[in-house]
Amino acid sequence: MGLKPATNPDVEAASIELTIDGRTVTAKDGVSLYDVISSTGKIIPAMCYHYTFDPFGSCGMCLVMQEGKKSPVRSCTAKAAAGMIVRTEGDDLFQARKKAVEKHLSVHPLDCPVCDADGHCELQDMAFQHQVTTLANAKQKLIPEDTRSLVLDFNMNRCIACGECINICKDVQMIDALQFIKKGGFTQVVAKGDTQLACEFCGDCLAVCPVGAITNKFSKYLYKPWQLKKTTTTCNYCGDGCQMQVETKDNEVVRVTSPLSWKNKWGDRSETAQGHGGLCVRGRFGFQFIDSKARLVQPLIRKGAKLAESPWIETIETVVGRLADIKAKYGSSAVAGLITARCSNEELYLFQKLMRAAIGTNQLDSSARYGHLNFVHAVQHALGVGRMTNDSADITKAKAILVVGSNVTETNPVFSLRVKEAIRVYKSQVIVVDSANTNLAKLASHPVLVKPGTEGLFVKGLIKSVIEQDLIDTEVTGKHAQALAALKQAVAGLSLDTVVSATGVSEDQINEAATVFAEAPRSVIICGEGIVRRPNGYQHVLALIDLLWVTGKLGKPGCGINTVTEEANEQGAVDMGTSPEFLPGQVAFDNDDARTKFSKAWSTPLPNKGTGVGFMDILKKCRNGEIKALYLVGENPLGTLPASAEVKAALEKLELLIVQDPFMTETAQIAHVVLPACTFAEKDGTMTSQDGKVQRIRQTMDPIGESLPDWQILSAVGSGLGCVSMEYESSHDIQREIMKVLPGYYNLGQPKKVTVNPDRYLANGYQAGVAARYRAEQKAADGGKRFSLTMGQLLYHSGKLSTQASGLLLIASSTGQLHMNQQDMERVGLKDGDRVRVSSAKGSAVLSAKADLSVLPDSCFYPEHFNNPPVKDLMAVEVDAVTGVPYFKQAAVSVEKA
Amino acid sequence: MSVVTAAKKIWEAALFAEIWSAMKVTFKHMLHKPITFQYPREQRTIPDAHRGALGLLRYDDGKERCVGCDLCEVACPSHCIKVISAEDKSLPLQRYASEFYIDITKCVFCGYCVEACPVNALAMTKMYEFSTHDKRTLLFDKQRLYEIGEKHLEDAKKYLYAHGQEKNDQMYHDYRYFFPQSVKQSTQPPPKHLT
Amino acid sequence: MNDTEKTYRFEDQRDTIYKVNPEHPETATLPLQRTEELLLNMGPQHPSTHGVLKVILELEGERLVKSTPVLGFLHRGVEKLAEDGTYHQFIPHTDRLDYVCAMYNNFAYCRAVEKLMNITVPERAEYLRTIVAEVQRIIGHQFWLGTQALDIGAMTVFFYTFRDREILLDWFDELCGARLTTSWYRIGGVERDLTPSLISKLRAFLDYFPSKIDEYQVFLEKNRIWVARTKGVAVISAEDALSFGLSGPTLRGSGVDYDMRKHNGGYAAYPHCDFNVPVGKNGDTYDRYWIRVMELYESVKIIKQCLDQMQDGPIMADVPSVTLPPKDRVFTNLDSMIQQFKLFSQGFDAPPGEIYCGTEAHKGELGFYIVSTGGGKPYRMKIRSPSFIHMGAFDHMSRGYMIADAVTIFGTYDIVMGECDR
Repeated sequence: MGLKPATNPDVEAASIELTIDGRTVTAKDGVSLYDVISSTGKIIPAMCYHYTFDPFGSCGMCLVMQEGKKSPVRSCTAKAAAGMIVRTEGDDLFQARKKAVEKHLSVHPLDCPVCDADGHCELQDMAFQHQVTTLANAKQKLIPEDTRSLVLDFNMNRCIACGECINICKDVQMIDALQFIKKGGFTQVVAKGDTQLACEFCGDCLAVCPVGAITNKFSKYLYKPWQLKKTTTTCNYCGDGCQMQVETKDNEVVRVTSPLSWKNKWGDRSETAQGHGGLCVRGRFGFQFIDSKARLVQPLIRKGAKLAESPWIETIETVVGRLADIKAKYGSSAVAGLITARCSNEELYLFQKLMRAAIGTNQLDSSARYGHLNFVHAVQHALGVGRMTNDSADITKAKAILVVGSNVTETNPVFSLRVKEAIRVYKSQVIVVDSANTNLAKLASHPVLVKPGTEGLFVKGLIKSVIEQDLIDTEVTGKHAQALAALKQAVAGLSLDTVVSATGVSEDQINEAATVFAEAPRSVIICGEGIVRRPNGYQHVLALIDLLWVTGKLGKPGCGINTVTEEANEQGAVDMGTSPEFLPGQVAFDNDDARTKFSKAWSTPLPNKGTGVGFMDILKKCRNGEIKALYLVGENPLGTLPASAEVKAALEKLELLIVQDPFMTETAQIAHVVLPACTFAEKDGTMTSQDGKVQRIRQTMDPIGESLPDWQILSAVGSGLGCVSMEYESSHDIQREIMKVLPGYYNLGQPKKVTVNPDRYLANGYQAGVAARYRAEQKAADGGKRFSLTMGQLLYHSGKLSTQASGLLLIASSTGQLHMNQQDMERVGLKDGDRVRVSSAKGSAVLSAKADLSVLPDSCFYPEHFNNPPVKDLMAVEVDAVTGVPYFKQAAVSVEKA
Repeated sequence: MSVVTAAKKIWEAALFAEIWSAMKVTFKHMLHKPITFQYPREQRTIPDAHRGALGLLRYDDGKERCVGCDLCEVACPSHCIKVISAEDKSLPLQRYASEFYIDITKCVFCGYCVEACPVNALAMTKMYEFSTHDKRTLLFDKQRLYEIGEKHLEDAKKYLYAHGQEKNDQMYHDYRYFFPQSVKQSTQPPPKHLT
Repeated sequence: MNDTEKTYRFEDQRDTIYKVNPEHPETATLPLQRTEELLLNMGPQHPSTHGVLKVILELEGERLVKSTPVLGFLHRGVEKLAEDGTYHQFIPHTDRLDYVCAMYNNFAYCRAVEKLMNITVPERAEYLRTIVAEVQRIIGHQFWLGTQALDIGAMTVFFYTFRDREILLDWFDELCGARLTTSWYRIGGVERDLTPSLISKLRAFLDYFPSKIDEYQVFLEKNRIWVARTKGVAVISAEDALSFGLSGPTLRGSGVDYDMRKHNGGYAAYPHCDFNVPVGKNGDTYDRYWIRVMELYESVKIIKQCLDQMQDGPIMADVPSVTLPPKDRVFTNLDSMIQQFKLFSQGFDAPPGEIYCGTEAHKGELGFYIVSTGGGKPYRMKIRSPSFIHMGAFDHMSRGYMIADAVTIFGTYDIVMGECDR
């Protein structure tokens, strides 16, 4: 059923009673009659209806007889009213619906044999269901196929003008990229302005198209639905944890479909608060990396200057033998490992077990170190929870949303739909604080454009403003008067004028934002890479928690602080203990109880307390020769970290560098042993999304070549090293072990709500940290370089993985370009595509520039997915003092014409 | 039992009468024309409806009929057909079968694929002698199937007529050239069968 | 002798026979005579086990004390295959149940699905179905007669029955394109109508055939070896036959007048035909032989009547949600094309429920039990094959007969292992 919620979730609509097929039904006032009928469990055919948007009423199928009316009425657009008497069945209605289908069929071409939707087509279903058999020759529209779009083909001969594509684009995605146009006597769907489609390419229009009018360019004509094997799995790109169906034919991925489709159009509108079931461009069109030609298919061992192919048994023997040698010669502290957070929970668990139990070292880390650990450490320290505090429904129904430093429509597009729904349906006020004019800022009620790198300062300004305007929740803060006093004292040193001058935001704007946030009944914070991956990220997250606390939002239902993650399982990596400071379950490594528990579970003593080192320290230790062997699972530090981090020098010093990856990365090229691993589509396991949902990934196809799932390789190495408890038959065995050591972790996608408890933090040690937090920041000298270069993510890419997906490269190609503001380009004297030289203190690079409306003056942007030219090498690396997170995404540069 | 019948029975038993009557039938057949024939030298006359090896057909102008709709694949009860469809590079927006395989070792010769085909691209022929020394040659690919279709075109057509899949008249020769079609230009004339 | 007694005796004998002094094994003596039963494996390579049947015979001298049929050598999981495909796709699989008489399997299966879908078959199709089914009955009985005689030792009959069977198989070839794996019946009708040439050929055969039945009779009816080996062999009483669930000629041989074609008003065009159901008296092999030969005459009678009574008309029911559209409409009309694609790719939507429908095949009652949970594929299909049911009575019917009669006994059921093992 699709009962539309009232715009205010707190006010219930009045109840009315009406009669449907002789049964009295109670319904909410003001909803569509169709929804009331479907809430009774009766399904009336409707081709233009979908519960995610408002009824459109174009197909003429949902006819019902209303007493007092002579002809049938369309139930989707009719409002349910008290006392209505409605009949939904009968031969007259069947005939009327049959006529409606015939009307659609009479202008439909004879395309079934060549149509991709054949077998998954609502028009076919309806024609078959209504037993249409006496149709005259079909008239064809003869509209040429629109193939201008990069990913979608529009065949308007097949279109039934149901408008679902347009409605979902406008209502759910809020992109509004499609429109109806009357051309050649027929209503057609075209991209806005009848040009090439330029949108986010989420493909939701493709999913809801009930016929074959919109088709997927990447799988056009390659399949019929009945040939495909459908496997429901979890997307591997970002931390949203979208469910998707990978459809394979033999051992090839043909397409990816979403749970959102015209097939499941009946739902409760309020369910969309948990997600609408759609996918983004990466999930839907970025599947080609799975069976890419570039995949590693054979283990490689370095023989002289070359990597030579080698059988698995020999390779594993080599790995095990050399690891054992190094351990025997230099001790277990000479071994370290890094793993990517795109691996499953089981593999992450196994990796830390390999390091801690089989090798006996605590020198391990995951890619959650690139930023997510800042957030986790902050909320762990302050609130005692290890992940974001709200679920999707909380965000959808919030009245005020503060989005700080997160271009969420680009980095986590499906998550951003929750914010969009909050704006559209629940009319919430959104404050977007960013150094770029993001898409969300354009929709937000309070867009705040700050100078690059001053997002943190703006947050402090908000707190200052809250205190100055006396928006403090005295009831909550009164419990910790000392802490409040300390905060007030710390903030006293900060003047709003400095904030205004540094961020470039007016005082009124700061005050208004503070007022909106403080006065809303439910306020949530979403912080992203723009704050957690920038210098002092840890402190800034704590400042955001301060903001929540002083406005009385901390612990209040529907309020909280949230983050978004770049890689699919960063939360899982933290939960599984693949960092030196945590054991599985986010228990401190030095916690005695936990150490006893795990050493008992693994029947081996754990490495000594306080021995662990994180990512950057591992590299440092490699460089000075303390670490002799490094095991990299899916990590590519050479391709990620700037040259100033001296990664190459560190890796070249190693006696043994093992790289386990599906692709030949930069790091793999200098490795001693390369182990071909599988992608997520070839293995079973679970992933933990950023909001704590543990969801299955399922094997959709056989591994490509001789590649193996990571857990199998890790298990083989571990048991080869003599750790008997690392022999597993399947990933379920590992799951069983995790269930034993972390009871209740597998929540089947239904995480428990977390309850925050800041009392301990506020009572002890709060005062000590708070003073330092609000000390004026030292602005780094820019050395006369006026541009601020930011590296960040594109909508169409995720990490380096997506650059292996040919579909995404087609949309956003690998020719990395510098995105600049139009005015800046004019000032420097540049045209689109001109070559520019970008120089920083660390070096310079020559690349082409392009104008980007979202980039602010005096700043420029480079997508971090591409290394050609290596713009990342212009960056300096700064390491967080508390969390060890490396910051290398921003630099002051000068731009001149090359 | 009367005395006469009893006596007759004894008489017949004594003379082994049933053997004599049976031998009479046998001897009669000595004069009969042989009903067997010498197979490789003499061939059976195969009826038109006979379900023999499958062949792919072309239109009269030499264009491939098959559009790669994969319906034969799903109709096949023994899953012996595999169609790989793609976009025709020479005729953009046209779907065609880039590869077509019939594993004739798995085929049960039920004729469902012919019944299913929406363009009558498949037909069965009177060809039944495809024994071989190498089992791998029994995976008929697209080329082989078109060869069979060409070589046994008359038989294939007769099969379609016999099973009511097609009629031998002008209408069938005309409209198929336009079906199914893709629209390339807005000025394209409508298909002949619809005008 | 009951089982416990036997075991006791067996153990007892072991003691007496193998009295071996472990110290001096060379002193062990073999007994002069052993009086235990001999276990003999008959088949699965035995030439007269009708394919791959193995029977473990327990012999007391040359007498059968107990016989245990071991089934499953030809098991292909047909019932499971049915769950994998649409209802329509299963028809070719039914060809391979009783591969001697594919038409009747098609018929029985289609009838079951029609009952599930509640489809009425047009009258002409009913007549066509009856004609072909009776032709198939003739083929089945001819085949049985030839092979049973061959098993018993009379080789000549085999040649004559197969000569006439050949004519009908060629007729099938002309009708549907295959001699054995016919797949001619369709859910809701038949695939192809009889052509004038087919009708004239069939009429010619019917005129010629009765004299040929007489000819077979000459060889067997009074042949004293045949009589000696069939009369009084494998006798089963009417009561036992019923309780073992026997059907067809095997049941009627014991004097039970039960024929699905007559029972409950019959089916297809049988109610419109005048024919007798021959019933035996003694329940022995000879009676069953006699019934089958008489049924040949009856079948000829039925076919003749059907050919005379048959009127022109459609050969397929017109139920758009189940039956295929005419092919020429598929080329030109979207509705028929959709119907074609839906029916082939997804099948028709069967109502949830279970049905059983039995049909009188020449061996006995061939029944299909279909469980549907809706959708295009059966949830479960069980085939009640007469061969399998009849094998259940094998032990009962063979006890006390000579080892050489074993062949006669499983021949008398007209057993085909393709159907038995499925």
